Amino acid sequence: MASYNLNEMLKRSDKGSNKPGNKDEMHLDDAERVKVLSPMQQVFKRFFRNRLAVFGLVLLGIMFVFSFLGPLFYPYGQTEIFRKYDAQKTDYALAKERTEFTSYVIDNELEIDSTVANKANSNILTMVSKNVDLMRTNGKDGFYDLVRLEDNIYVLTKLETQKVASFGSTQTHVGLCSVTQQSVTFDGEDLGEEFTATALKSMKGTSGSFEFDGLTYDYQKTSAPKTYDIYLTQDNGFLYEGSNLGAEFESAAQSATESSDQFRFQIGGKEYFVVEVSEGSYEAYAYLNESPAMAFTRYAFDAYETGASFSDEFKVQALLASCNTGAFEYEGASYTIAPEEDTLVVRGSDGAEVAELSTFVIRRYNGADTMELGLKDAIREKVELMTESGEKTATLTYPIPQQKEDGTYDYDEEGNLLYNDSELTITRKDTGEYLVNCDQIILLIDIYAPPSGTHLLGTDGDGFDVLARMMYGGRISLMVGFVVVFLETLLGVIMGGLAGYFGGWVDNIIMRLVDIFYCLPMMPIMIIIGAMMDAMRMDTYVRLMVMMGALGVMGWAGIARLVRGQILSLREQEFMVATEATGIRVKRRIFRHLVPNVMPQLIVSATMGLGGTILTESTLSFLGLGVKHPLATWGTMINSVSTASAMTHYTYIWIPVGMLICLTVIAFNFVGDGLRDAFDPKGKR
Amino acid sequence: MLKYTIKRLLYSALILFFVMFIIYSLMCAMPSGYIETKAIELASRPGAGKSADEWLADLNAQYGMDKGVIVGYFTWLGTSITGNFGESWKWTVPVTQKFAEVIWTSFALSFVSFLIYVSIAIPLGISAARKQYGFTDYFATVFSMVCISMPTFFLATLLQMVFSVKLGWLDLTGMQSRNHASLSDFGKFLDVAKHMIMPCITLVIVSIGGLMRYTRTNMLEVLNADYIRTARAKGVPERKVISSHAFRNTLIPLVTILGGSLPSLFSGALITETIFGIRGIGYASYHSMVQGDIPFTMFYLAFMAILTLLGNLIADLLYAAVDPRVRLA
Repeated sequence: MASYNLNEMLKRSDKGSNKPGNKDEMHLDDAERVKVLSPMQQVFKRFFRNRLAVFGLVLLGIMFVFSFLGPLFYPYGQTEIFRKYDAQKTDYALAKERTEFTSYVIDNELEIDSTVANKANSNILTMVSKNVDLMRTNGKDGFYDLVRLEDNIYVLTKLETQKVASFGSTQTHVGLCSVTQQSVTFDGEDLGEEFTATALKSMKGTSGSFEFDGLTYDYQKTSAPKTYDIYLTQDNGFLYEGSNLGAEFESAAQSATESSDQFRFQIGGKEYFVVEVSEGSYEAYAYLNESPAMAFTRYAFDAYETGASFSDEFKVQALLASCNTGAFEYEGASYTIAPEEDTLVVRGSDGAEVAELSTFVIRRYNGADTMELGLKDAIREKVELMTESGEKTATLTYPIPQQKEDGTYDYDEEGNLLYNDSELTITRKDTGEYLVNCDQIILLIDIYAPPSGTHLLGTDGDGFDVLARMMYGGRISLMVGFVVVFLETLLGVIMGGLAGYFGGWVDNIIMRLVDIFYCLPMMPIMIIIGAMMDAMRMDTYVRLMVMMGALGVMGWAGIARLVRGQILSLREQEFMVATEATGIRVKRRIFRHLVPNVMPQLIVSATMGLGGTILTESTLSFLGLGVKHPLATWGTMINSVSTASAMTHYTYIWIPVGMLICLTVIAFNFVGDGLRDAFDPKGKR
Repeated sequence: MLKYTIKRLLYSALILFFVMFIIYSLMCAMPSGYIETKAIELASRPGAGKSADEWLADLNAQYGMDKGVIVGYFTWLGTSITGNFGESWKWTVPVTQKFAEVIWTSFALSFVSFLIYVSIAIPLGISAARKQYGFTDYFATVFSMVCISMPTFFLATLLQMVFSVKLGWLDLTGMQSRNHASLSDFGKFLDVAKHMIMPCITLVIVSIGGLMRYTRTNMLEVLNADYIRTARAKGVPERKVISSHAFRNTLIPLVTILGGSLPSLFSGALITETIFGIRGIGYASYHSMVQGDIPFTMFYLAFMAILTLLGNLIADLLYAAVDPRVRLA
C-alpha cells in the first residue's frame, strides 16, 4: 500500500513540475515508465493472461445469458405444453341396421306405466314374430294398446275405459282334503260329512272331479302327501257394475270371448271390449277414449344440416304423419314426409330436404350423431356394394373434419370447419355391424418431437420444449449453486472466524463440530432427505428450499477449516500485531484487516464449490430425489429419458443437457483455478 | 507413535459417537407415520416374512424409536456395539449378512479401478509437471478438469449409450449374462469381469482428474525445490533427477493421500453401482435408503463414517511414517 501511495505522489509531483512534451526523454527512474497497478488490477491482469480461465469466464457468461436472459427472448415457457395435428387411427363410426325400436314420448302430460313402456320393445318383437297389428297390455293404471302403424312404426296408446260387467265362470277354493286324516278342512261354510265322504271316495290320481249336490267340484293334488285342494267352478252369468245392458250385449260379449282376438265389439253405437281375467272368467269394459302415449320406431333421423338435431316432438310428428297424410306442422312451420327410394324424407314447406329417415343408422363410434349426411350416404352406398359383392372390407376417401383433443371440431379463423381427406376403411363385423376406421387428424400433445425449426431441440415426454426447459433448468441449477455456496460460505466464515479469532475452548468446540460434519456422508444423507420428502409429497418449491438448506448445512465444514487456518496464520503476522498496538477496535480489526486477507481463498473455494454443488444437485435430481416435475432442472431432464429405450431414441434431449452441466462445471472450475493462480502467483499453480 | 495412534483412535470414537447421534436424530426426525407406512408397504410385499407390526416392534426394540432421541440413541448404540444391527427391511435378512454378501463386489470394483486410475494419473501428472505450460500440461489440465466436472450419471449413461446400445458390446446393466449358469468357473469370472468394464471405466474417469492434479501440483513444488536445482547443477542426468530425486519426494504426499483413500475402497460407488445394476454396497444402500429401510441405512451411514475417520487416521499416520521430518504429537 505504501509503495502504491508513494508512486502516486511521485506521479503527482511530476505533473506538478509541469514538463509537457518531454515524453521522449525518459529516464530509468522515471515514474511514468513504470506502470503501477493496484493489487486488484494485478490479479485481473494475471487472471486474463490465463487462457483457460478466460475460456471458463466466457463460458460462464454464455451460460448466464442463456439461462437468465434466454427465457426473456425465447417464446416458450418451461411448462408450456405443445400440441400438434397428427393422424391417429380411430374407430370413426359404426353403421348397422337398427333392430331395436327407439321410443319417443308423444304426450308429456300423460302418465304412462313404466313397466308397460319398458316391455313395449319386446312386445313389438313378439308382435312382429306373430304378425299381429294390435296388442293389449294391462298396466297398473289401465289398458294400453300397442298398434302397428307400419312395419317400422308402432304407437302405444293409453285407453280410458270403464268396467261394465264381469262374466264367465269363477272358481272358488272350497277346502283342503286330507286322505290320511279322512277329513276336509273347509275354507268357508261347512258342507257336511256327506260331502267329506263323497270327496274322500273320489280322491284318486293328481286331479279329477266329482259331483255333489248337483254341483261339480274339481280337486287337485297339493305338494303335501295325500292332500287335495277342492275347487268349485260356477258359472255366474253376467254381473253388471252398472245397469243391465241386456241380452244383445251378453251374446256379443260371449262371442267376443270366442273370437281369436277377444277385442272390440260394438253394441248400440258404443264400443266395448272383453278381457280374460283368469281361465273362463272375463271382464267387459266400455271403451271411452284413447290417447296416443308413445311412438316406437326403428327409423333414425339423419339431418341434412350436419350436427342439427330434432326434438322428440318433431320426430313424433313426422313419424305419425308418415303413416297418415304425410303433412305435419311443427313450431309454426309445415313439413311433408314421404317415402323416397328406401328412405323417408322430410321436406320443409319450400321443398328443401330437412331430414332423412332410414333404418340403417350410421353414427360416430361414441354414438353421437355429428356426421355429415354426405358421408353417411357415401358409407351407405359402400355398405350396399359390400352386401352385394359379399366383401368384408371396403375403403373410401372422404374429407373428415379435424378434431381437437377433447373431441370437438376445429375451425379456421372464419369459423369454417377444417377438413382433411382421409381414407376410411369399412369392415363388416360378425355381428353384422359395419365398423368405419380412419386415420383422423387429431390435435395431440406433441411428445418427443425431434428437433425442428419450431422446437430447436425437440420436445420431451410431456410435450414441453426442451430448449426452453434447458434455459429454465439452468436458472434453477445456477440459483441452487449460488444459494448453497452463499449459505455454506456464510456459515463457514462465521464459524471459522470465531474459532480462529478467539481460539481456546471456542476453537476447540467449533473444530470438533467441523470434524463431525466432515464425517457425515453427504450423498446418502441427501438421498434419505429426498426419499423422506417424497413420502411427504412436499411441494416442489418447498423441496427446493429444503434441499438448498440441507446442502448448505452439509458443506460449511470445509470452509470453516480454511478460514480458521488462514486467520490463525494471519493473527501472528506483523500487521495484526500492529493493529493491536495502534489500538484499533476488534470489529474493525476483524472486518478491515482479517477478512479481506481471507477473501482470495474464499472466492476461490466458492467458485470451485459452485461447480460441485451444481453436480450434486443434478445428481440428486437425476435420481429423482431433488427438484421435481414440473420444475425443470438439468438433472430432472436427463432423468426423464434415462430408461434404456428413451435413452436410445431421444439423444437430442439428454446429450445437450449433459453437455451443459459438464460445461458449466468445467467453466466454474477453470475460473476458480485461474483465480487461485491470479491471487497467489508464487504458490502452487 | 503408539501413544498418538491410541489417542487418535479414542478421539475418532468420540467423533463417531456424535456423528451417529446426528444421523440417529435425522432418522427420528422422519415425519410421523412415515415409518409405519414403510413398514406396512414392506410387510405387504411377497416374501416379507413378518407383519408390519412385527417389523415395527423389532425396530422399536432395537432402535428405541419410541423412547425419545437420547434414550433411543443409547438403546441403539447398546445393541449395535455388539455387532447386532437388526434385520434389513428391504432385503429381509440380517443387515450384517447382506453386508457380507455385497461388500466384496464393491471392493473388487473399487480396487481394480483404483489400480487403473493410480497407474494412469501419477505418470500423467508427473509428465505434465515436467513441461509446465507445454502441450502435455495443457492437455492434462483440461483432461483432468473435464474428468472432475463430468457428472457420474451422465458419463455412465453415455457409456451405456455407446457400448451397449450403439455398439452392442456390453450389457446395459447387471452383473451376469443370461447364460451365466452354464459357464465354467473361469467363464463365470470372465462374464462378471465383462460386466464390470463400464462401471470400472466410469469410476476411473471420475476419480482420475483429482489425483492427476494433485500429482502435478506436488511435482511442480518439488521441481522448484533447491535440492533439484542442486542436482541439476551437479550435472545429474535429467532422467535421474526426475526419477530418483524428484519422484521420491513427490511420493510423500501421494502415499499419504492414497493411503488415506484405502478405506473408501469399501464404501462402494452409490451412483455408478445403481446405474449399472452392480449388486454392491452402493446399490444395496441406495435401494435401502430410498425405500426407508432404517436398519440397513443406519448401518451403512455408520460404516461410512467409520471409513472416513479411518481414512483420516491412516493418512496422518502414513504421513509421519513416510516423511521422517514429521513428528507426531
